Amino acid sequence: MAEIYRFLAQSMRYPTSDWMQADYFSILDAFLAELGWDDEAQALRQSISDKTDWLEPIQVEHTRLFVNAIPKVVAPPYGSVYLSDDGMLYGPSAEKAKAFYREQGFELVGESDIPDHINFELEFLALLAEEGKTQEEELFLQKHFRPWFPSFRARVLAEVRHPYYRVLVNLIDFFIREEL
Amino acid sequence: MALNLTRRKFLQTASLAAASAAMSGCFARQANASTPFVKKPFTAPGSFAGTKTAVGGVCEMCFWRCQLVGKVRDGKLVKLEGNPKSIDNGQSICARGNAGVKLLYDPDRLKFPMKNVGKRGAPEWKRISWTEALDECATKLKAVVDKHGPQGIAIFPHGSSAKYPMTFFENVVGTPNNSEASFFQCRGIRDTAYVATLGVAPGENVDMANAKAIFLLGGHFGENVHVSHLKRYLKGLENGAKLIVVDPRFSASVSKADIWVKIKPGTDTAFLLAIMNYLIKEGKYDKKYVAEHGKGFDEFSKGIAHATLKWAAKTCDVPEKQIKQVADMLAANAPNVSIHPGRHVSWHGNDFQRERALACLTGLLGAIGVKGGFVAGKGPKTGKAGWPKPMAEHAEKFALHKMAKVYKFSPPGTPTDLIRNAAVTGKPYAIKGFVAWGQNPIQTVPDQALTIKMLEQMDFVMVCDVMPTDITMYADILLPESSYLERYDHIQKGTQWNFADPHQQFISARMPLVSPTAADHERKESVWIMNELAKRMGYGEHIKVKSAEDMINTMLKDANLTIEQLVKEDGIHLQPGVDPYGKALDVEFHSAELAEAGYPAIPTYVPVPEPPKGFARLVYGRAPMHTFNRTQNNTWLHNEMPINPVWLNDECAKKMGLKDGDTIELVNQDGVKSRTSSVVKVTPGIRKDTVYTAHGYGTMNKAMTVGVGAGIDDQSLITKVAVDPETGAHGMRNNFVKFIKNGKVLSIPA
Repeated sequence: MAEIYRFLAQSMRYPTSDWMQADYFSILDAFLAELGWDDEAQALRQSISDKTDWLEPIQVEHTRLFVNAIPKVVAPPYGSVYLSDDGMLYGPSAEKAKAFYREQGFELVGESDIPDHINFELEFLALLAEEGKTQEEELFLQKHFRPWFPSFRARVLAEVRHPYYRVLVNLIDFFIREEL
Repeated sequence: MALNLTRRKFLQTASLAAASAAMSGCFARQANASTPFVKKPFTAPGSFAGTKTAVGGVCEMCFWRCQLVGKVRDGKLVKLEGNPKSIDNGQSICARGNAGVKLLYDPDRLKFPMKNVGKRGAPEWKRISWTEALDECATKLKAVVDKHGPQGIAIFPHGSSAKYPMTFFENVVGTPNNSEASFFQCRGIRDTAYVATLGVAPGENVDMANAKAIFLLGGHFGENVHVSHLKRYLKGLENGAKLIVVDPRFSASVSKADIWVKIKPGTDTAFLLAIMNYLIKEGKYDKKYVAEHGKGFDEFSKGIAHATLKWAAKTCDVPEKQIKQVADMLAANAPNVSIHPGRHVSWHGNDFQRERALACLTGLLGAIGVKGGFVAGKGPKTGKAGWPKPMAEHAEKFALHKMAKVYKFSPPGTPTDLIRNAAVTGKPYAIKGFVAWGQNPIQTVPDQALTIKMLEQMDFVMVCDVMPTDITMYADILLPESSYLERYDHIQKGTQWNFADPHQQFISARMPLVSPTAADHERKESVWIMNELAKRMGYGEHIKVKSAEDMINTMLKDANLTIEQLVKEDGIHLQPGVDPYGKALDVEFHSAELAEAGYPAIPTYVPVPEPPKGFARLVYGRAPMHTFNRTQNNTWLHNEMPINPVWLNDECAKKMGLKDGDTIELVNQDGVKSRTSSVVKVTPGIRKDTVYTAHGYGTMNKAMTVGVGAGIDDQSLITKVAVDPETGAHGMRNNFVKFIKNGKVLSIPA
């Protein structure tokens, strides 16, 4: 599971040619095949194999969804944007996530890093999984990740223009969803 | 299969192991795939653990620059406070200063360099690296210089971090086309008019704290809030100073005034001339001061002899008796009177004359260098750092106002209009490269359509900012700057605010309260950005400072200080001061210099256009919780005043069928409608021929998710621009509006 979290975190990073290459897509494709998400796999394959310049549209979409856009950033990838009253970064929920990291013996490298960025939370889940802390992993998902991820995902799905990010947020959702 | 597949089942499938192995291989070559975490044993924090006070903050929520400390808990800025050591703002900061925290953590802030792969005005952004961004900016700007000469570039800067780039383009590249909104849409007229009259730019240097009378022309203190300035004003009132406020509207200052002159907008100079003429005729002026320091006084007194109380009463639509009362009150308290020079003074296109008149009135009352009068504090000396001036002469030669022999009393830089017109017409030369740095010309400069036309014809547009303001939509390359809470960039110095207190001087420098770097953004400070650009454009040899920190240290050297030392002294260095009183200034009542340049040699009233029938004049001003566009997206401040109500006279409202709180829109004399709506504030506290609203609302940029479309953007209604003939600055209050309610246009009865 650690590899999967890490894969998802990596997938949410800004798409650049140093990692987003054929081998990356073949893994993603394998995932989708395993899951039986054939339509998604098909759409994704089409979006990257039809064009010579397949990377830029993904970059533009990443920027529009998560960085800066007109009419507005679609889905800032930070928990407290969805969990605090005023939608600001580094709200109380972010501080709580940071406290959780510490309790598990992990510290963010940068002193000003915003703790609840989606990539940090996914990387942290990878670390927990790696150490075999299954209960803590579930607790973190329950207390820190699941409370905001669905709102984030909903915003992405409502406005997404590229199949890659539709696939990706659904994939994350699949792996973090609570199993009854 | 898909329907029933759970995570658990999926994880059990055999193919996963293979996929995992492939994954590790796939990302191993990626340097930034390393984990953002380090292992560290957990230690239980105590209460308030890690909360520390970061010193050296200097506010930039407005230009007043109060000194701050930041309360930082575990890397997060939780609160801003006035620096207790400050002898300027002290422990006090205003609502905007407090709300700086919300700027720091605004999710809409610019994070990475971006390239516009869509169109100007309808951008599609692609995040790019700094290397790519800087290479592209340098190549494109250099191409403009090579093809059209250095003058082919225009820069619209604002704020302390924009000074370094501004002087680079002006002095090293050699373009004169630099237009600071703070000069051409704000205070430049005041500065050049006072220089022409008293030899110095006035700042807000009136000793209100020790005045016996304070005279404000349009100043609405309390609605515009600058902490130490307000302290002076309120201390003066507390000490019993008389207050005279000239304003068409019942402003916060009017509410404290002894005399409210409800003047007809645009006629202020007539009012001032009548006061001066009366004081001269009655012999109620400071004869000694005028004899010793006045120049051309006889021509002046003859020249304004026509300005009788009766004439002014009619012109200004105020009682004759009241003008006399104001004049007598000033004379009775002279020389200890504060004739306030104002700050935003670009009103009607006849503003240089009004500012000249204010300076003359100050001289006539002998209110210079004395308690309560026009007195500048004697601040400490610090050094300079920045660019050499290899191309300053070239810039001078291509200055549009000098080529056209107009606007001979222009503030530094080039009048905005001349730049815009040259860009749009290509005459006298082409302007094809555009740089905006911290300024949002879409909202600061009147006639948005023309500004957009100017931008559209550019070969290249570069914008550097903290927030995605309107102008960022027109950028080809957009660069993210660190905020004022995360950077070094400015030395703030001065004296204690009350000259009655023991004389002291202070030196402080803006220092970061929190770290400028984090994993989720790549913002940079302006000196670094500019240096990197300069190197790539081939001007690297002129670089004198390596970074903003280096620049500040260089400037501090002359005061025998370093950043390190300032930190040790809690962010502010204090030293004994000097008595500021006693310095007289010569007063050019009649200016030979102005006469030679072809302008009126003595202050002259120039009438301004009247409202057409059914319209009222649109005037605008400040709200205490906003600094225009800069604070529109701040959630705390937005919450305090989400929209800008439009003031309308109650009798007019009654006839128009409008009630307080009605939702309305505005339409101006050119048929331009406000893009958005606001509410009407029905009040007896405004003239019938005037409507008023707070400026800086209703941004059209949807990236400003809080402020977008909230309230009315008065700037969009300022389609008619008056240009002050002496300075080339914009007069923005010659526009007239009607109301619209439920789609129906309502005329305003006179």
